[in-house]
Amino acid sequence: MTASAVRRTPRADCTVGPDGGITFDLDLRREDEEAPELLLRLRGAKSPDRDAGAVRLSLSPLRDGRLRAVLPGTTRSAEGRWDVYLREPGGDDDGAVAVEPGIRDLRLLVDRAPASGPIAVRIPYPTLDGRLAVRCWLRAPHAEAGPVTFDGAGMTVEGTLYGTGLGTDARVEARLPGADGRVLRVPVTGQEGTFAFTLPFDRLADGSVTAQQLWTLWLVPGAAEGEPAGGVRISRILDDVWDRKKIFVYPGRSAGEGVRATPCYSTDNDLCVRLEPAP
Amino acid sequence: MHISFLLHNAYGVGGTIRTTFNLAGELAGHHDVEIVSVFRHRDVPALGAPEGVRMSHLVDLRKKSPTYDGDAAEYARPATVFPRGDSRYRQYSRLSDARVADHLRSLEADVVVGTRPGLNVHISRQARRGPVRIGQEHLTLDSHGYRLRREIAHRYTLLDAITTVTEADAHAYRTGFKLPGVRIEAIANSVPAPTVPPADGDHKWVIAAGRLHKVKRYDLLVRAFADVVAVRPDWRLRIYGGGDATGNERQALLTLIGELGLHDHVFLMGPVNPLEAEWPKGSIAAVTSDRESFGMTIVEAMRCGLPVVATDCPHGPREIIDDGTDGRLVPVGDTAAVADALLALIQDDDARHRAGLAALAASQRFDPSRIAERHERLFTELASRGPRDRSHGAMSTTLHRARGAVLDGAYALRYKAAAAIRKGKTA
Repeated sequence: MTASAVRRTPRADCTVGPDGGITFDLDLRREDEEAPELLLRLRGAKSPDRDAGAVRLSLSPLRDGRLRAVLPGTTRSAEGRWDVYLREPGGDDDGAVAVEPGIRDLRLLVDRAPASGPIAVRIPYPTLDGRLAVRCWLRAPHAEAGPVTFDGAGMTVEGTLYGTGLGTDARVEARLPGADGRVLRVPVTGQEGTFAFTLPFDRLADGSVTAQQLWTLWLVPGAAEGEPAGGVRISRILDDVWDRKKIFVYPGRSAGEGVRATPCYSTDNDLCVRLEPAP
Repeated sequence: MHISFLLHNAYGVGGTIRTTFNLAGELAGHHDVEIVSVFRHRDVPALGAPEGVRMSHLVDLRKKSPTYDGDAAEYARPATVFPRGDSRYRQYSRLSDARVADHLRSLEADVVVGTRPGLNVHISRQARRGPVRIGQEHLTLDSHGYRLRREIAHRYTLLDAITTVTEADAHAYRTGFKLPGVRIEAIANSVPAPTVPPADGDHKWVIAAGRLHKVKRYDLLVRAFADVVAVRPDWRLRIYGGGDATGNERQALLTLIGELGLHDHVFLMGPVNPLEAEWPKGSIAAVTSDRESFGMTIVEAMRCGLPVVATDCPHGPREIIDDGTDGRLVPVGDTAAVADALLALIQDDDARHRAGLAALAASQRFDPSRIAERHERLFTELASRGPRDRSHGAMSTTLHRARGAVLDGAYALRYKAAAAIRKGKTA
């Protein structure tokens, strides 16, 4: 009836440094000459171009015998979710084992305010099934959402703009993905790297709303060359919260008769407005 | 010494499990230590087994296990030894009664430690003569119902010692019962030194943690924080903790946050385990409960260098916080007092940093090594006396147990009679 106290899965403590780099300390001790490596794989990456979706980090022993790998702050890892694996020397990538999250010291990610772009964010986090992954965002330009205030039948969002300025034609677009592709355009104001816009909810609700609608929000700077054709997705990524859907919860407001509008974040930390029939 | 802990379920997550693991792991440095878990529902302990400690179980509830016990007929029959008054009563059975009895009657240990009232009763009734019998109280006496208190009054007389986590609760045991010859001692819960560096005191966040339950009075904290934000809109509040099965506290709190317009200042972070890396993201901790059996989160926050603003509620906070030095104690249920105490630390950077350092220093007394020493001293003292010299020799045990058996018969009869009457009424 004796339980085995041996843990099968390697566990990594993570520390985010001032430059956004991540240190992984594994609770493994190896005497061998050849150390295993830490393998980060981009979830959903296409298999033919494997190496674009893989980052390999060498592990070296610390004084206490644990193994350490460092993902430097300068590495430009693609936006998405990167799963963390341990690959044994001589083993192949498919045989690599998932790593468990240990203590994640992310205090330096809290309330980040970078002076300028491009914006690279990396947050080590535990997946729902208990593995370690790294959520990455790579934005240039970037529109960071800040405080949301409500006035009458709309909301005002203030934020910070990185890597571009606002032209005379600058606007924010609320888009309803789907067949009819409706778009609501509102003016955006700002100066010196800030932006603000007010979205009247009643103009989103065109007629009756019978099912939930999720409107996405985009900033179209209308200024510099080389800006993304579709505009800049308005997100909130400059802290330690890798999924703010259930943490940043906003109160709802009436958007006309029988319709309720509620600002919210997606699991990818993009700002949205949810429209639904009022209860 | 051979020290044997008896734990309800070593494979789950909870304060008692964590504390027992800390203590067992610490004692294992010098002693032969085992943890016997009455139930086992998963292969690996969720909190990770303590190093150097043997783990075993008595009732296997892993459905895929070849020794799965959940289909046994005896498992479906209600327990008769494990007391009804213990809140876990429904999980116990004739099968657990028998397995725990077999274990205790054959246990060759110097010390046997129960970790909840029902198991303390088992030890009192069934441990063979020889091992020192310790009953640990991880909650508080006044949290138990009348039925359990009566059982405790009767059964705990055969224990050698009872340990509580606060002086206040030890006092309640000493004054509430006649337990001659039973040592009653308060030994606080332990919290290990965090592996992350302490907070720097400059992050403009207040942190609270604990399951979302009415007794924690997060509504009070949120209201108080509205007053804080009115003065210092640059400060924000994070509340860590999962919802509670007993109600929809999360939704109630979200509604309150929305009503007060605090949606960009107060955040419900959900459950996070382990918590230790979350404290240093803030500079002040807040505990606004109506009651705390100990106040584990207060110590956890202090060990990370956070001063704590806490209500002066029963039982723990005032035994942990030195008011004005490493935190602040405020009257229970007083929104303005919570807001004032928070603002005092927010407005005065020097005072906040000083209080944080004081918290770091003062909380060292809760280190597992120091707490384990106190348990060890108690165990050693009692063990060195030998069973003959302890108050509960063979004679008193036999007599008490015989009387207990008669009383059990009487109780059983009364329960049967009561049940018959109830049935009669509904028929």
